[in-house]
Amino acid sequence: MCAVDIDFGLGLRPEHYEEIAANPGQVSWFEALSENYMVPGGNPLRWLDRLRRDYPMALHGVSLSIGSIDPLDRRYLDELKALAERVQPMWVSDHLCFTGLRGQNMHDLLPLPYTEEALNHVAERVMAVQDHLGRRLVLENVSSYVTYAASELTEWEFIAELAKRADCEILLDVNNVHVSAFNHEFDAMAFLRAMPRERVRQFHLAGHTHKGSHIIDTHDEPIVPDVWTLYAEAVKLFPGVPTMIERDANIPPYAELLAELDEARRIAGTVTRRAA
Amino acid sequence: MSSNAGSLGDLQRAFQDYLLATSDTFQAAVRDTSKADRLTLLDVYRDGYALRLIEALTTDYPGLMAMAGPADFDHVARAYIAAHPSRHPSVRWYGRGMADFLATTEPYSRTPAAAEMARFEWALGEAFDSPDVTPITADALMALPQEAWETLSFTTLPSLRRLILAFEAPQAWQRREEVEPGDLVVEPAPEPLTWAIWRPDLVSNFRSLDADEAAMLDALVEGRPFPELCEAVAPFTGEEQAPARAAGLLRAMVEGGMIAGFRY
Repeated sequence: MCAVDIDFGLGLRPEHYEEIAANPGQVSWFEALSENYMVPGGNPLRWLDRLRRDYPMALHGVSLSIGSIDPLDRRYLDELKALAERVQPMWVSDHLCFTGLRGQNMHDLLPLPYTEEALNHVAERVMAVQDHLGRRLVLENVSSYVTYAASELTEWEFIAELAKRADCEILLDVNNVHVSAFNHEFDAMAFLRAMPRERVRQFHLAGHTHKGSHIIDTHDEPIVPDVWTLYAEAVKLFPGVPTMIERDANIPPYAELLAELDEARRIAGTVTRRAA
Repeated sequence: MSSNAGSLGDLQRAFQDYLLATSDTFQAAVRDTSKADRLTLLDVYRDGYALRLIEALTTDYPGLMAMAGPADFDHVARAYIAAHPSRHPSVRWYGRGMADFLATTEPYSRTPAAAEMARFEWALGEAFDSPDVTPITADALMALPQEAWETLSFTTLPSLRRLILAFEAPQAWQRREEVEPGDLVVEPAPEPLTWAIWRPDLVSNFRSLDADEAAMLDALVEGRPFPELCEAVAPFTGEEQAPARAAGLLRAMVEGGMIAGFRY
């Protein structure tokens, strides 16, 4: 494995496997979706092993359901642990949400109420997961479309306190901060400023779909100017944090994502030079 | 916390029931914003639930889509979703029950070709995700001493699936992109045929089996030794021709990459 900086990465998409192997361009690392590789065998695992030889990787999941009142899914955790042993990722991440209960899966990242009860519940589960995996967990802030009447804390107070109590880390999705700030009418900068600097492990950048009265986090469009602006602020607050661009649908040619990553690199470089 | 707020469990149950459209009480737990009312915002989740699962089913069943067309496929998918909440962390496995659902649910059960297409497509997907095993080559068998054949038995690739199909679903599946969605016709087969699906390397293979071949493969998968594979073939060829026929069929299976290993 070559010694490269880990600063700027992309999501590992099956559509791009061949291109990455042949003509990777300027990318330092990849984020692999855990569930895509939790299969018995076949092409996806072959590619994962092959590309992992040349690139550091992070594992990013969607099914941990850390906030659910259902018991933790031990079988899922065992499979995730086995995958982490295979991949030796830089870190393992998932989302601060629940995905279902009563043994059912809604296949969505459903937000939690920001209450003391929820905080205690999630912190306990994060610690259990970290024990099981033998490593720290990194949790991503989700985009959300509903505000619970029951919430006692702001989302950023909840996340900051959770990270401290459970001794876990934060995947700061800048697009999701922007989306949630618009939907819930809060100040995105207040969110950023509240994140404990030493616990921000990674940034996500992504696109979304604006519906006028609300924004939906579709991850299927290029990053918009408002999110780039927020990203510049995030880089100022959290210098040196690795950045990755997420694209989950409407997948463009690999070269387009490389170009977007260049833009992230340019912005981060400008911010860093100004700060120096 | 307000006594009306409900516990974490209450809120999660209400949210899930809202997505499943079995209850609307969750509406009272969330707020309007100055830009959007809560129903619009909640619909993002409720609509998103079905859309995500329909997307997974569309990915898994392109042949079925080609038979049904988008409107009818949507109808089937929504009926399936209503009957089958997802119980697996990965949406990859969500569509497993589609063939059984089509076979047992009116009005879809009146089109048995649909259930067979679903069964075939799911088997292809299972083969795709099966563990990777390198099949044996014919050379390995040629090197065996003569006496080994008395007790020689085999194992097949983990990806191997066998289906008995009364309709020409595999043939139609190969034409799925040549027709407009909704126009794929699946003819009944002259008689039910056994199909084998397996993945020797990167790509899934499938083909129909002759009756004696299907019988021999049944015995082979059970771990029966070569003399019993000949016995499986004998009713079709006669006793005298059975060994040669069995050897020929075995060679075809080995060269096709179906056989993972052997012992004697």
